[in-house]
Amino acid sequence: MDRYILRKEDVNRWVEALARTQEVLAPTRVEKEIFFAPTQTAVDLNLLSGTATLPYLPAKDLVLPHSENLFHFTRKGGDYELTVPEEKKTAVVLGIRSCDTSGIYWLDKFYQENFSDCYYWRRRNNLILVTMACNQPVKNCFCVCCEGGPFLDSERDEFDIQLVDLQDSYLVECKSSKGKALIEANPKLFAKADPSAVKTREALEEKSRNSFQPDPTSYMSTAIRRITSNAVTPETWTELGEKCFDCGGCAFVCPCCSCFGVGYLNEGEKGCHYRFWDSCDYSGFTREVSGHNPRGEKGERFKRRFFHKLSYQYLKRDGRIGCVGCGRCITACPGEVGMPTVVERLRK
Amino acid sequence: MSNIYLPNLARIIKIQDETYDTKTFEFEFADPKVKQAFKFGPGQFLEISALGVGEAPFGLASNPNRPETFRVTLRAVGAVTWALHQKRIGDLVGIRGPFGNGFPFDEYKGKNIIFVGGGIGLPPLRSLIEPMLDARSAFKDFLILYGARTPADQVYQDRLKEWEKMSEIRFGMTVDVGDANWKGNVGVVTTLFPKCNLIVENTVVFVCGPPIMIRFAIMELSKLGFKPENIVSTLERYMKCGVGKCGHCAIGHKYVCVDGPVFNYKEIGKLPEKS
Repeated sequence: MDRYILRKEDVNRWVEALARTQEVLAPTRVEKEIFFAPTQTAVDLNLLSGTATLPYLPAKDLVLPHSENLFHFTRKGGDYELTVPEEKKTAVVLGIRSCDTSGIYWLDKFYQENFSDCYYWRRRNNLILVTMACNQPVKNCFCVCCEGGPFLDSERDEFDIQLVDLQDSYLVECKSSKGKALIEANPKLFAKADPSAVKTREALEEKSRNSFQPDPTSYMSTAIRRITSNAVTPETWTELGEKCFDCGGCAFVCPCCSCFGVGYLNEGEKGCHYRFWDSCDYSGFTREVSGHNPRGEKGERFKRRFFHKLSYQYLKRDGRIGCVGCGRCITACPGEVGMPTVVERLRK
Repeated sequence: MSNIYLPNLARIIKIQDETYDTKTFEFEFADPKVKQAFKFGPGQFLEISALGVGEAPFGLASNPNRPETFRVTLRAVGAVTWALHQKRIGDLVGIRGPFGNGFPFDEYKGKNIIFVGGGIGLPPLRSLIEPMLDARSAFKDFLILYGARTPADQVYQDRLKEWEKMSEIRFGMTVDVGDANWKGNVGVVTTLFPKCNLIVENTVVFVCGPPIMIRFAIMELSKLGFKPENIVSTLERYMKCGVGKCGHCAIGHKYVCVDGPVFNYKEIGKLPEKS
């Protein structure tokens, strides 16, 4: 892995070089929230920082948009013409957080196995992820318990480029060939990092790891064991499920949730089939046309959600638990049954 | 990369009325190359769409040894099946698949075979029954039991009559409620068990039908000494993609669409949710 120093004052020159051949998405403030938006030159350095707050949504919509057309059809006499919407061009995502990068690599595995999902991959293959390491976890973060951060490690984790905020400059860790191409867009801006910068990085990671508040997710292993062995009583799931509003918010803000529904449009001689985010919290998620619903009870749906995220059966299948510790479900949940609350309850 | 969500167009070449609400459709792919390449195994399913209306999974109900044309049997219950029931011969539908694990045909060779079908649960079993009958000598005792609510609810009536006459198989039929013309057994399908001298040793039982019928059939079979690993069923779930991505059909860590739909009851028993 190569390490460089990029001075903060040079960031916009780098982005300018990158934006000549591809779209550059950077964290952008829209009123109180932060989103990833296309940028040409002016990156907000306050948001491209090791202490910035997390965007409200993970960047998963870049690979799995909220809604996406699968194909269009046109009726021609008794025949149909089917067409697939065109591909998007390459985009660099600047300042995506460690947890959200981990989430995308988790989705990669899921969308590769069994049948490869071409809609996912044609977006994913065109994305280059420039991760921002977190020097300071924010209120709901628990990535340190979920292999989601706060720093990514080139031997342990996947990324293209990781930026570490050294105050006046960034340490640029380049892992993949895709990342290397970004450096080569304007190599003059990147000086080789010296050992002292690496030492500073290690100290920052250590400090960050030690600034997490003691949190129930430290007991994640108990939850995993009890869910795996089906030892959690139906009464406990019902009790937790009672607090769930079936709003689907936790799934939509989750970097790892990827379930989708498919919708169908027909206007005159044209139409399309499209997919959209769905959630296992919804009672209609498993309801069959006969009215039979295998997960008609809230507690059963709640169990389903956490079985998928935390059971060893899934851990074995997907290589990691289905949670990266971003804490967004805590922010989104009106019933206050985000991941840490559930883990704490299952420990009892 | 192949597009797993893009259907191929297939033409309806035959429509058979089965009951007052159920029809069998026979299809062939419109593109000769797709038609030639198409193969399927017993117990696999297709995602069939009425374009612009919806798409749903249906078990293949015809003989995999003759894949040039293929059949599914549908009851009109929801938007997709209603739209498909309006179609005429020559109309086009979208088809993706075949999907699912299917029945491991060769593993059943040398065994006694029992089929327990209920109502519209017979069609998916038929994709296994027919190739087994083609290779009848590879199997030992061969028993088909079929139950329906009333005589008017029986599907494949012509084929049932043929099975009844075949000397190389045993066949039993029942209805929950008879009518003036019905002279056969009346009662749920499990009432046929004591009358049929079921062989337990070296036997596989295939059960498919409505959830309540499956539950009672399994209960009775267990009482008779059949082991869960020798009772096989094909599960159904609300399903969108058919390829293990949309998440709807998951039971525990199994996806009915890719890990199933064929499971034995030992596997089903290990799942952390009711199937």
